Amino acid sequence: MTKMIYRLTDFFITILLWFYFLFGYLIFLFVLFLPACIFSENSAAAFQRVNHVFLKSFFGLTKFLVPRTKFKIDDKVPAVKSSIIVCNHISYLDPILLIALSPLQRTIVKKTFFHVPVFGWFLRQYGFIPSAPAEMMGEAMLKNLESIRRHLAAGGNLFIFPEGTRSRDGRLAPFNRGVFSIARYCNAPLALVLIKGTDRLFKPGTFLFNTHASNEITMELIASIEPGFSGGSLPAAALSDYARRIYLAKLAGRDGDDLAETQDEASG
Amino acid sequence: MTRQEIEQEVKSIFLREFEIENPQMDKDLRETYGFDSIDAIELLLEIERFLGSELTQEEKKQAMDIRTVNQICDYIEKMAKVRGLAKEA
Repeated sequence: MTKMIYRLTDFFITILLWFYFLFGYLIFLFVLFLPACIFSENSAAAFQRVNHVFLKSFFGLTKFLVPRTKFKIDDKVPAVKSSIIVCNHISYLDPILLIALSPLQRTIVKKTFFHVPVFGWFLRQYGFIPSAPAEMMGEAMLKNLESIRRHLAAGGNLFIFPEGTRSRDGRLAPFNRGVFSIARYCNAPLALVLIKGTDRLFKPGTFLFNTHASNEITMELIASIEPGFSGGSLPAAALSDYARRIYLAKLAGRDGDDLAETQDEASG
Repeated sequence: MTRQEIEQEVKSIFLREFEIENPQMDKDLRETYGFDSIDAIELLLEIERFLGSELTQEEKKQAMDIRTVNQICDYIEKMAKVRGLAKEA
């Protein structure tokens, strides 16, 4: 009986959240997105700001409807500016949470999402970049890199999940070195963010939010890597290994000396 | 910088950045060594470091047509000439 009540609660709250997520776009579209598109000189930035407000409200609603899930966000994360945010990926909620925390965010998104009606159109308006070979070749690649550089110079962030996809078992997958190469090209700092708990609220492969379990979603800035790190000459692959070791140390509950050791190894 | 110095530096970049020792000068980088777009970005950064100055957008676009190590050397030689760095061997 209790199980059934839990399932029903999960179902109704999920429907409410999905309703907000899907139909909220249409309401926001006419009230905020269209004026942003018409009156703003930089429509992508205006769209990003409106999307930030929309998704911040989504999490406000989530907090209200799912009181058993607590959010513990490190103050340093929303304060990150003009940086490339690297983040582990455990749930579809991760990108939504990152956008909800900071107004000027771009990212690289699986190309298939750009084919989804309406949603794909929005992704393009935000200035998100499709993850496709054609977008990272020749002149298209240079164009994208330069637009990322301008976005970062204007105070925005680019967030990327270097694992490429969501982890199904919570383990950290190998990192793609692309993001580290982009950081080197843009001469931008890297902000390493660790997310925990979103996979308990919205598990990969499920439709329902898990609203009845006690849960804590945490987001922490675990390290920052400045462009001049190790003389600025560390290749992308080495930077990627270094960053991954920091995540592994943190996930294993190691801190302080171990992280310093990791840094020494990378520098040496 | 002479052509010989450029070739030496390019080989050193390949060893340091891509762990490729003595790359073949006229082989297609993509087909022979699995060179990808990320490698292309890294290579551009190394060329800028070697030249000691940033490449312009137009110059970077020209680099996008490069397919072989010899073409990389030709490109650097051309960029060095523009910057008054080139010397005859």
